[in-house]
Amino acid sequence: MAVTAEAGSSRQRGWREIAGRRQRPLRMRRALSYENPSFAYLLNAPAIFAIGLLVVFPIIDSAWLSLHHYDLMQPRTFTFVGFANFAAILGSSEFWAAFVVTAEFTCFALLLLTLLGVGGALLLSTPFPGRGVLRVLILIPWAIPPVVNGLMWQWIYDPKVGVLNGLLKALGLISHYQGWLSEPTGALIALVSAHVWSMFPLAVILLAGSLARIPEELYDAARIDGSDEIGLFRHVTLPWLAQPLLVVLIIETVYALHAFDVIYVLTSGGPGTATTTLTWQTFLTTFQNLNFGRGDAYAWLISLITVGLSVIYFQALYHRGEFEA
Amino acid sequence: MSGLGWRKRWRLALLMTAAAVLALYILAPFSWLVVTTFMHEKDALSVPPHWIPVHPTLENYFTFLNPSGVGALVGSRAAEDTLPGILNSLIAASGTALLNVILGALAGYSFARLRFRGQRSLLMIYLGSRMVPGIALIIPLYLVVRMLGLLDTLPALALTYLTFTLPFTIWLLKSYFQGIPRAVEEAALVDGCTWPQMLFKVLLPMAKPGLAGAAMFAFMTAWNDYLFAVILTNTMASKTVTVVVAGFATDVTTARTLMTTGGVLAVIPPLVLAFLFRKFVVEGLTAGAVKG
Repeated sequence: MAVTAEAGSSRQRGWREIAGRRQRPLRMRRALSYENPSFAYLLNAPAIFAIGLLVVFPIIDSAWLSLHHYDLMQPRTFTFVGFANFAAILGSSEFWAAFVVTAEFTCFALLLLTLLGVGGALLLSTPFPGRGVLRVLILIPWAIPPVVNGLMWQWIYDPKVGVLNGLLKALGLISHYQGWLSEPTGALIALVSAHVWSMFPLAVILLAGSLARIPEELYDAARIDGSDEIGLFRHVTLPWLAQPLLVVLIIETVYALHAFDVIYVLTSGGPGTATTTLTWQTFLTTFQNLNFGRGDAYAWLISLITVGLSVIYFQALYHRGEFEA
Repeated sequence: MSGLGWRKRWRLALLMTAAAVLALYILAPFSWLVVTTFMHEKDALSVPPHWIPVHPTLENYFTFLNPSGVGALVGSRAAEDTLPGILNSLIAASGTALLNVILGALAGYSFARLRFRGQRSLLMIYLGSRMVPGIALIIPLYLVVRMLGLLDTLPALALTYLTFTLPFTIWLLKSYFQGIPRAVEEAALVDGCTWPQMLFKVLLPMAKPGLAGAAMFAFMTAWNDYLFAVILTNTMASKTVTVVVAGFATDVTTARTLMTTGGVLAVIPPLVLAFLFRKFVVEGLTAGAVKG
């Protein structure tokens, strides 16, 4: 493998120098193959093959399809239309309706996830009797498959026999049973609550992990400066949490944008289009209207939003020095 | 002195209250799901609800063991499919986990120990492939699987899940291998081991916890999937438990206690894994998020 790139060659030279300095026997050096790229490619070959066949190729193919008029309702039509699908989507009211629902769903979910995540992480980072039990319990919502999560909340929200109705009535908060999922605002709130319940443990675990890495010196320094307990929280803990919170928010945004199973089981995008997010709209366009080209264009718009967010994510990590490839 | 004691006590009371609220938030919805599996249909549908089973029964669980014996119960068809669905899920998820560990260990090693051109880009492609929503891949993926003649088979599911989980596995194992001193490998090679012998007899045994953790994450991702299973499967030859259970949830004629019992059965394997590997769940999630 000829070395052409300047950066590559200097990196390799640097590596050879280190390898040479260590004075390893020649046989072993060849066996370890630190300098033998074809061995590295051989090790990666199965992974490249699998990901290439079932991810990279489909990504490219779906980009190609998104530039075509490809509608199973009108057989034998497969014509190149450039960005017409994208233009049609961006000019349609259904896209903007779904966009607004997605934004509402995501913002509302992120707000709750931030409160629960930060609160839960602070709680689990403070010693108290029974903390170990809580740390195990928090794995329950994380481990439950999204389909079962949706089913569980459907059962709880049931308009005729649901336990939420039973509870609220027993507490005197409602006078008669409500159809939570048949009313637009209620359905969205119910959907967000179900989503948040299954996603908040991730936020808690990540933030608690970051809290555990706060150097004790930071607290010592703040104490010397005369901070009391509230001061320590404001001047050390909160600033430390800002960065991991950004990471959590971006991961959770991606999950919210891609949420599908829970919508499928709980609301199917309804009532009307009250919970039709972009992902659900993609599903409808593709599998209900069988408009594959348009559906792929939808999927690509979601991908672009996701990739845009991940770029911010990598940048944030890169500046912190945590990311090393 | 006593003032300080009071302050501490208040603090503890506050913490314990917050902990109780959090525990209730986690447990209340899930326990309602579990509690109703021990109820007769009539009790589960009562208004106001019975908070605990008044006539506790295992009837719902027996229905799944012997679905044909209860023709009277609505939804016995779906109950029939649940155990085969669990078996299908077990096979697909175990296959995914096994393939992940093999392919992930090879690729992970190359990133942990070797230097090669395109290394950084390759890792970025691996990780970047996870940013695309599943729904964007589903049609081309369906066409590839059909071309391979693997529609409605478990290998198709295992392969599909492999490609979604492999980037994370590679990342995890890369970090894990980097934590093992290079001197261990060099000693084995100096002692006359060939590279594969060194890998299988020295390095991989040392990396067992990392491999087990990666296998667990892969298994859970595969087990939890619904979207790809519902598109790529057609019959009970390959339908997974999430597809069967979603069928319960969207079919209004199904007995509700059967639905909740099916849900609980589908939760058991991932829940057991999460508890067994709880230390690794936390480590793995943190490593995955903080470092990419």
